[in-house]
Amino acid sequence: MAILKMKRLRLMVVRSRKEELLRELQRLGCVELSEIGQELQDSEAQGLVTRESSSLMALKARQNTLDHAVALLDKYAPAKGKLLSAKPEYGGDELLSDAGVDEALKLAEAIGSADERVRRIAAEESRLHSLIESLTPWKELDLPLDTEGTERAAVLTGSISGRISLDEVTRALGEAAEEAELFSISQDKSAHYVLLVCMRESLTAVQECLRTFGFTATAFSGMTGTPKEGIAASEKTLQELAEEKAAWSADIAGRGGNRDELKLASDRVGVQIAAAEAEDRLFGTESTLVLEGWMPAEREAELEQVLERLECAWETSDPEKDEYDQVPVQLKNNALTNSLNMVTNMYSLPAYGSVDPNPLMAPFFILFYGLMMADMGYGALMVIAAIVAMKKIKPKAGTLAFCQLRLYAGISTFIMGALTGGLFGDAPYRIVHMFNPKSTWEGLPYLFNPIYNSETVLYGAMVLGVIHLNVGMIVSAVEKVRGGNPLDAVFEEGPLWVILVGGILYALPAMGIAHFSTMPGLVILIIGAVALLFGAGRHSKGFGKVTAAIGCIYNTLTGWFGDILSYSRIMALMLAGGVVGQVFNTIAAMPAGSMGVNLFTIIIFIVIFLVGHAMNFALNLLGCFVHDLRLQCLEFFGKFYQDGGRPFQPLKIKTKYVSAKEN
Amino acid sequence: MDFLSIFNGYAIGLLGAGLAAALACSGSGLGTGYAGQAGAGLVSEDPSKFGKAMILQVIPGTQGLYGFVIWFLAFGKLVPDMTVLQGWQIFGACLPIGIGGLVTGAAQGKVAAASINILAKKPDDWSKGMILCITVEFYAILSLLASFMMLNAITI
Repeated sequence: MAILKMKRLRLMVVRSRKEELLRELQRLGCVELSEIGQELQDSEAQGLVTRESSSLMALKARQNTLDHAVALLDKYAPAKGKLLSAKPEYGGDELLSDAGVDEALKLAEAIGSADERVRRIAAEESRLHSLIESLTPWKELDLPLDTEGTERAAVLTGSISGRISLDEVTRALGEAAEEAELFSISQDKSAHYVLLVCMRESLTAVQECLRTFGFTATAFSGMTGTPKEGIAASEKTLQELAEEKAAWSADIAGRGGNRDELKLASDRVGVQIAAAEAEDRLFGTESTLVLEGWMPAEREAELEQVLERLECAWETSDPEKDEYDQVPVQLKNNALTNSLNMVTNMYSLPAYGSVDPNPLMAPFFILFYGLMMADMGYGALMVIAAIVAMKKIKPKAGTLAFCQLRLYAGISTFIMGALTGGLFGDAPYRIVHMFNPKSTWEGLPYLFNPIYNSETVLYGAMVLGVIHLNVGMIVSAVEKVRGGNPLDAVFEEGPLWVILVGGILYALPAMGIAHFSTMPGLVILIIGAVALLFGAGRHSKGFGKVTAAIGCIYNTLTGWFGDILSYSRIMALMLAGGVVGQVFNTIAAMPAGSMGVNLFTIIIFIVIFLVGHAMNFALNLLGCFVHDLRLQCLEFFGKFYQDGGRPFQPLKIKTKYVSAKEN
Repeated sequence: MDFLSIFNGYAIGLLGAGLAAALACSGSGLGTGYAGQAGAGLVSEDPSKFGKAMILQVIPGTQGLYGFVIWFLAFGKLVPDMTVLQGWQIFGACLPIGIGGLVTGAAQGKVAAASINILAKKPDDWSKGMILCITVEFYAILSLLASFMMLNAITI
């Protein structure tokens, strides 16, 4: 329930134990290796130690090959998995071993080269298709394509724009060379495909004449036989290629059963990559290695056993205050507050040495979510979805936190739904009135309802906001006292509480809620304001005191006003979700209202009901989360939170396809 | 006043209700249009992102829904023999979601289109784009509430 205490670890080990040490550290998963401190690099030892180098690049290449093969299998033989299924689990030792990796790599390479063949065949196929396309207009030409004419006669093939009449061309040609003959082979929308025969000596004149008509010569370089034969041959090759391609594809698809092996091997290589990355951070001499890092203090005993066994020389030390910005941050939480890790991570981790906001935020986050959504039906859906997901996927870390958050928020939504009388909007009321229009039932009972008591709900939301913000301020004040600056707390938070008490004492009689004088409230209010001004100016001198005080008034007034009004979004979202749901219910019940209840109108009711509520549910699920997040991160965190923590990334077993068993 | 009273209250009410739906739906149309164009561009490169692109595209679609809700509620209040004053009251109550929906719908569409860029370049962070879109949504919700509470206050 807090930010874990970290210790700096330094150790030396003999070189022969390097592999074993890294492996054990990875299995424990509790040490983050950092770059060796400046002192080592500056000292006399500099010349003696060198940075370790690992085979990181080679390992990454292996993982790429394996991942690529998995992707290819997914393409050629899509896995017929269930929609929600848990990843297979493996123990730490299984993942640390490299058994089966070499075989899997061979398999992956075979899959990769088979895919390469398929792609080459596909390229050849498209080349042949375009060849056939270019030969098709010449299909009727009964001449081998490599015909170059005879000793005296020249033969030309080409096309002329389809807009030009061939008669015109023939006429012009007759004038240029009497003996020249133009044969039309075929034509389509864009062109005439023609064969031209003429004497060799008049070839230049003929070409000159044809150029004026936009004649383009077509060359069939390297082709023999008639176009018909060419097309037939290409089609035959295409057929063979298709068969070959199918065979190769089937070959890849046939290896679909090896998918799990490939995935496991990829994760095993991934584990090796993590170790290699750690290795790159080590420095060493010929016979020893130095390692520096951070570890949670609570795991020291565990680590000690391992380090003793490996005969390491080691020491741990608590970080100094000025080192706090280098210390990585790990949050430790129980099942309830763990769900909020997701929110904290999305924003930014708290700085080392400050407060873990999760336990403080959890009750408010869950309460506010429930208030915004406030519907028994939606709440039940969320709870069911979260439980099903947790049972089926068996999620870890981030996904688990997400499911937990959905579960708690769902329970809260259900409770608030019961208090506001919401069950899929006003569905029970609508349904009762659909079947019995004369019913006098007024719907589910409610304690407060955003539609009928919108003002009460609005003020209630703001009161919740004041409580929320005050919790933040209390935390801030406690932190200041603990940090040795109690005066800061007295002058910064103190006056605001005095003003708050004074404000309430003044407002109650002024609004006619209570019957006593407004005087005491007013006096307390003024005392608070003066203390606030004094507090704001206490660090400045001379004229600076005045500007600091004015700045303080402005910031306090606008800041608090804005912050509290911002909580009105709780009421806004509560109301919007309810209204949209009600309107869908009303529309769904309309056909039954005008045509009477029968099978047809009931089906219409169900369809509109389902579609409408699915939309409203999805929208609210997202909207409530985002607005709740905003209230926490902007309004609440603004009062006390110190962010900027660096996440703790220990050397550990990290996997993508399979899940590692927790020890 | 003579000029205004030649109108019938019912017609003015219909005009208001119609504008609530028409303007808000136009806003959503523009918004989903911008986002849809960007989404289609992305899907042409990477069809596997269709689902997420579609989610981003439908986010600016809610303004139209809100406009429709207000239209529905306002339409339910209209009666043929209402006074000119009542007609103008309905008209006024319908304005917030009409104008608010039009402007926020278009603006949210632009954010959604930009978020599709996030989806293309940093697919892991696409949910942050969704959060940016929902910020705009809040003002559409406020418009809806303003219209709703005003409509609720009108008795006919």
